[in-house]
Amino acid sequence: MSGTRPTIEISNICKSFGQLHALKNVSLSVDTGEKVVIIGPSGSGKSTLLRSINRLETIDSGTIIVNGQDIYASGSDINVIRQELGMVFQSFNIFPHKTVLGNLIMAPMKLKKVPAQDAKKQALNLLRKVGIQEKADVYPSMLSGGQQQRVAIARALAMNPKIMLFDEPTSALDPEMIGEVLDVMVTLAKEGMTMVVVTHEMGFAREVADRIIFMDHGQIVETGTPEHFFTSPEHPRTQKFLSQIL
Amino acid sequence: MTQKIPKKEVKIDISDGAAIPVRKDLGLFNAWWMTFFGAIGIIIYLCAVKPDPYWRILKFLPDGILVTFQVTILSILLSLVLGLITGLGRLSRNRLINLIASTYVEVIRGIPLLVQLFYIYYALGRIELFKDLPPLAAAVVAMGICYGAYMGEVFRAGIDSIDKGQTEAARSLGFNRAQTMTLVILPQAWRTILPPVGNEFIALLKDSSLVSILAVSDLLRRGREFASESFLYFEAYTMVALVYLVVTLFLSKAVSKMEQRLNYYERD
Repeated sequence: MSGTRPTIEISNICKSFGQLHALKNVSLSVDTGEKVVIIGPSGSGKSTLLRSINRLETIDSGTIIVNGQDIYASGSDINVIRQELGMVFQSFNIFPHKTVLGNLIMAPMKLKKVPAQDAKKQALNLLRKVGIQEKADVYPSMLSGGQQQRVAIARALAMNPKIMLFDEPTSALDPEMIGEVLDVMVTLAKEGMTMVVVTHEMGFAREVADRIIFMDHGQIVETGTPEHFFTSPEHPRTQKFLSQIL
Repeated sequence: MTQKIPKKEVKIDISDGAAIPVRKDLGLFNAWWMTFFGAIGIIIYLCAVKPDPYWRILKFLPDGILVTFQVTILSILLSLVLGLITGLGRLSRNRLINLIASTYVEVIRGIPLLVQLFYIYYALGRIELFKDLPPLAAAVVAMGICYGAYMGEVFRAGIDSIDKGQTEAARSLGFNRAQTMTLVILPQAWRTILPPVGNEFIALLKDSSLVSILAVSDLLRRGREFASESFLYFEAYTMVALVYLVVTLFLSKAVSKMEQRLNYYERD
């Protein structure tokens, strides 16, 4: 919490899928370097909220300012804004027709015109960081889920984003692979990356989060530090949720 | 232990092209070998036992085979271009574009190919610019327009079969729609698209015999020319049928080989 101008400023956003109100007047701001973890039962709108930050979801009303730019304004170039917003998905979404290295160098080379040599060097550094440099020339179908998700994180980092968004990054993994992905995320957090993470991993939330947001029925029910959350949650809905999950 | 990317097994089967042998499908494989070598065997046998007229007919046909290939290849190229445009149009969120593409498909699917061929051929003849268009070019345009509609459906289904997460991942990296399509979606969709495209190619090769009506001397027309001069109708059409069969079988094999190649990143 560096106290600078917030990197992400979400104000009063609403979103509905037909009759269902996925987001009801949600406001949230995230400072540079801050790690915000969003928890809540399924269908509470947490993924929708996260996805609206890089406009993978459209919103019905409200504003979202990212790095000083209103991302839903007609004049803003979402493709440029997204380059600063790394996103990691529950289902990895690695490009299966490219090797691991190919996955990492594609965006920097095509979008930032980074020379192949530099892009490869950076990619190998990132692969070392996520612990799979030996898999650089392998196709993703040869990798385990945990390895694929680490490649996905490295791919997002290859664009040097200022913010990383994680949408339940470990939910599709076998239990024994969750640790390796969380380790990478913890390292990233320690390096000062601004992170917004939707997860069910309470251990991770406790260790890494500066702030935990609890959502239910499209609204933010409670906000607080991990200590607050895990020792004295105030709202009965939060208490119930935590008692069920812990 | 290894967890795979969730993927949909998609097989598009909409054409009447020759069946493309699949490696697992041993029965079909055997059928392929039997038919292919059976056809070649019969050709050789007929030419050896009765060189007149069979060998004479066989020598008369190659010009026609070349024209048939010319028409087929040029038509398939045109239909691929039209098919890609149509497929993207059918997936477009722009309602007007969508409507135009869908109408094209509906119109073409509703008219028999032979009628389309006549229609386009004579319609082109009425336009001043195309008046002196050689029959072959007119035939290619007509076949291309027709098969473009079918190809459009193949492209649409192929593109549709790629997981939405792939688009989201590409977009979230900062790629625009066109880049996402050309760098991420189409290279993957191609694997799903290729088998039906191969099927369409073979179907088109067979349908190209219809252009013999338009004064294009393809394989069938060459056979007819021979027959009408010699009155050996049965013999001429026997050879024509056997040559079509051999060519079609050969192509279906080639397509299945190419298909195996394209699966390189799915090896376990």
